[in-house]
Amino acid sequence: MGSWLSRKSKFDDTSNTVYLMQMPRGTRVPSLSPFPLKLETYLRMAKISHKSILGFSLSSKGKIPWIRHRGKDVADSQFSIEYLNKEFGVDFNAHLTNEEKAVSRAFLKMVEENLFWVLVCYRWFFMDPKDFGFSKPIPWLWLAYIRRMTRGYAYGHGMGRHSEEEIFHIGKLDLQALSDYLGAKKFLFGDKPSETDCSVFGMLAQFVFSNIESPHCALIKKEFPNLERYCHTMRNTFWPDWDQVLKGDASSTKL
Amino acid sequence: MGLRGSKPTFDDSSNVVYFIQIPLRGLRVPNLSPFPLKLETYLRMAKIPHESIMISTLSSKGKTPWIRHRGKDVADSQFCIEYLNKQFGVNLNEHLTKEQQAVSRAILKMVEENLYWVLVCYRWFFCDPKDLGLAQSFPWLIYAFIRRRVRGFANGQGMGRHSPEEIFQIGKLDFKALSDYLGEKKFLFGDQPSETDCSAFGMLAQFVFSNIESPHCALIKKEFPNLERYCHTMRNTFWPDWDQVLKGDASSTKL
Repeated sequence: MGSWLSRKSKFDDTSNTVYLMQMPRGTRVPSLSPFPLKLETYLRMAKISHKSILGFSLSSKGKIPWIRHRGKDVADSQFSIEYLNKEFGVDFNAHLTNEEKAVSRAFLKMVEENLFWVLVCYRWFFMDPKDFGFSKPIPWLWLAYIRRMTRGYAYGHGMGRHSEEEIFHIGKLDLQALSDYLGAKKFLFGDKPSETDCSVFGMLAQFVFSNIESPHCALIKKEFPNLERYCHTMRNTFWPDWDQVLKGDASSTKL
Repeated sequence: MGLRGSKPTFDDSSNVVYFIQIPLRGLRVPNLSPFPLKLETYLRMAKIPHESIMISTLSSKGKTPWIRHRGKDVADSQFCIEYLNKQFGVNLNEHLTKEQQAVSRAILKMVEENLYWVLVCYRWFFCDPKDLGLAQSFPWLIYAFIRRRVRGFANGQGMGRHSPEEIFQIGKLDFKALSDYLGEKKFLFGDQPSETDCSAFGMLAQFVFSNIESPHCALIKKEFPNLERYCHTMRNTFWPDWDQVLKGDASSTKL
């Protein structure tokens, strides 16, 4: 799991602080990956004391983000949330009906297993690399290597077998579903936020705040403005320090 | 279109939809892949005249099923449905509210992009090969080759990085969502079936009718019996000839 010695020194395993391992900050979003943004939004929503450690230390499953709490490492954003729900007695879905919880699960999976791949394909295959949104440009060799790996992943998943137009169309249908379900509501299920809001925000923020040059962003602004409104609501509610975080503040440590 | 297997001959002047599916006729389901079963259920639900051709020729996207209609090949089950909806003026979601259509999309994606990988991982990594339920036995070398490719795909998609217990838990949460949303209803959205019923049935039928030895089947019978009831409803409504189809009947031509 990465450079063990340098990482180990960052943790105080006796405290109740949750350490969140994630990539370095983007220039327009706190994380260019929707999953760390989802998890960090959850931690803020739950008011769980946490500290972000910025770097590329991968989890046991070879991915980011992952958390460490009292000496225990948990990989995968959803498993992390399930763990933290238990540890801290949190349940953001307690106010939902059984049917709403079912819908919540369905939207979570639509966003994370489908819309996510629309984002991935856009960023790695169709977008100009200069629009990536990192503070430093990605070295050309890294870009080529990750792009090649991602092409294999996207092909295996299935999304990578479609044309650019087809992928855009698939994304549009997902965005339409989110927009139609959200309607005029403040959050997905009404005036109170729930767990899936963290994931939906983590994903939509990539299009709305980061990839502002993308056709997806233009589409949201034109046809699904309530999704843009929703992103601003989530940002203002849980990330009032958004701009300071982007500049680099005490909430995160570089590895 | 088609890279392997014999080339079928089509009558491109007729209005018949040629439905090409990989010859994975199961002992207990018309096709061991949920997507051909989804598409064939849709064709029956929409009462579109069609002829099923069982052949190992894959689509232009390297997958199954695909269709040919009036000389046009369409790959991907969902693109096929969108094409057929236009061509035949079908809209199985017409009676749904906007919100229900949004939920329909979310459930479709949860089933096809998440639950599907639970099925894939179970069948290719944890299931005894003799329980696959194929009507014909699989040559061992081909089985090993496909298994290796699937492992790469599942790893790229993400599900393959989880333990068997974690994958089972992920599947359980999807079943729970389906069960809770279905409730006492005849179909997902009430007394009238809709498009997503085809997909949900295509997937659930694999667990309920085919992989009867699986822990997923046992779980459904014990904790989500309405899903089993739902599968029987869909089968009785759209597949009254289920048993004849399994024996090999006029509804499909083997090339």
